[in-house]
Amino acid sequence: MTASPRILTLIPAHNEAPSLRAVISDLRAHRPGADVLVVNDGSTDGTAAILRELDVKWLDWPERRGAGSALRAGLRYAARQGYDIVVRLDADGQHDASEIARLLMPLAVGSADVVLGSRFSSLNRSRHPGPIQRSLGALLSMITRRAVTDPTSGFWALGPRSVALLAEHLPDGYPEPELHLFLSRNAMRVVEVDVQWRARLHGRSSLTLTRLVTAGARVALAVIIVPVRASVGITRD
Amino acid sequence: MTDRVQIVALVSSALLLLLVLELVRRRRLSEEYSALWIVLSVSLIGISLRRDVLDSAAKWLGVYYPPTVLVLILVAVISVAALSFSVILSRHQRQIDRLIEENAIMGAELRELRSDLEVGKVEHTDEMPEPERPAAPER
Repeated sequence: MTASPRILTLIPAHNEAPSLRAVISDLRAHRPGADVLVVNDGSTDGTAAILRELDVKWLDWPERRGAGSALRAGLRYAARQGYDIVVRLDADGQHDASEIARLLMPLAVGSADVVLGSRFSSLNRSRHPGPIQRSLGALLSMITRRAVTDPTSGFWALGPRSVALLAEHLPDGYPEPELHLFLSRNAMRVVEVDVQWRARLHGRSSLTLTRLVTAGARVALAVIIVPVRASVGITRD
Repeated sequence: MTDRVQIVALVSSALLLLLVLELVRRRRLSEEYSALWIVLSVSLIGISLRRDVLDSAAKWLGVYYPPTVLVLILVAVISVAALSFSVILSRHQRQIDRLIEENAIMGAELRELRSDLEVGKVEHTDEMPEPERPAAPER
């Protein structure tokens, strides 16, 4: 990697109008001059109008298609525009932009392809995972043979290899848990870093009961299927 | 009784085959997806003509009433057809996903190119401007 890798900050957003400005200004305060790409996933609350006012790049489409699709599009954009590293964070303000530097560290020294911010790692006693997250984490740790303390983290830093891979193959829907399986199947070096988290600025987790059940079913299927799927080759020109 | 069943089966299988061919002729059904239906209707015609095949199949399966085997085969074929539709649907879903994502990316690239033109970063000529794209870093 060159001395100063090009970094794109990727933010998937669905109806995040109340928090988007604050998230972007927090980002600007901690990482001035950073390139920011917001993927507007079919918002109906004026998120699109806010994007036009802010000095950010954006992608959008008219109907909601899920975080997986939004992230995949953003990653493909990054790969095509020659970015080396993609930092992904959520638009609801729960990720602290001052922690990005910490996420980037393992990539800078080349010891990881993917760095995941964890709310619940052993060093971070400020919050505790719920029973669902704990059992999901245990299951994923068992399969991937790596400690997964925060299976639903949406605070990532991706290096060039994983950007190229995920731009084509990021799972659909609610991709976070399945991502762990996919990365491990495709021999990506994954590192967890403990980060400080804040309460969301607005709204609740996007996981309603129906979506939780659907996501659970998908994860259950992924647990069986992904480890026995052929690994996919990385192509990058 | 059996004769009537046989005639009805023969006629309806033949009608199915004709319908499929007509749909292909009018380009309402693409050749790719017609194969399944042509194979199905031709084999139904075959079974209607050769009742002894059905009879021996029934005997082998231990089914007392041979036309039941016909129903069994139909159910199996329709299940396979439904599964193949799901496969086709999944492929279309993937293609649509890709298209929407690509379209959004191109929209963004177009916006950036336009604003570069306004700022004057890119020279406006009649020739196609090379999109501003930094060289991939060496590694």
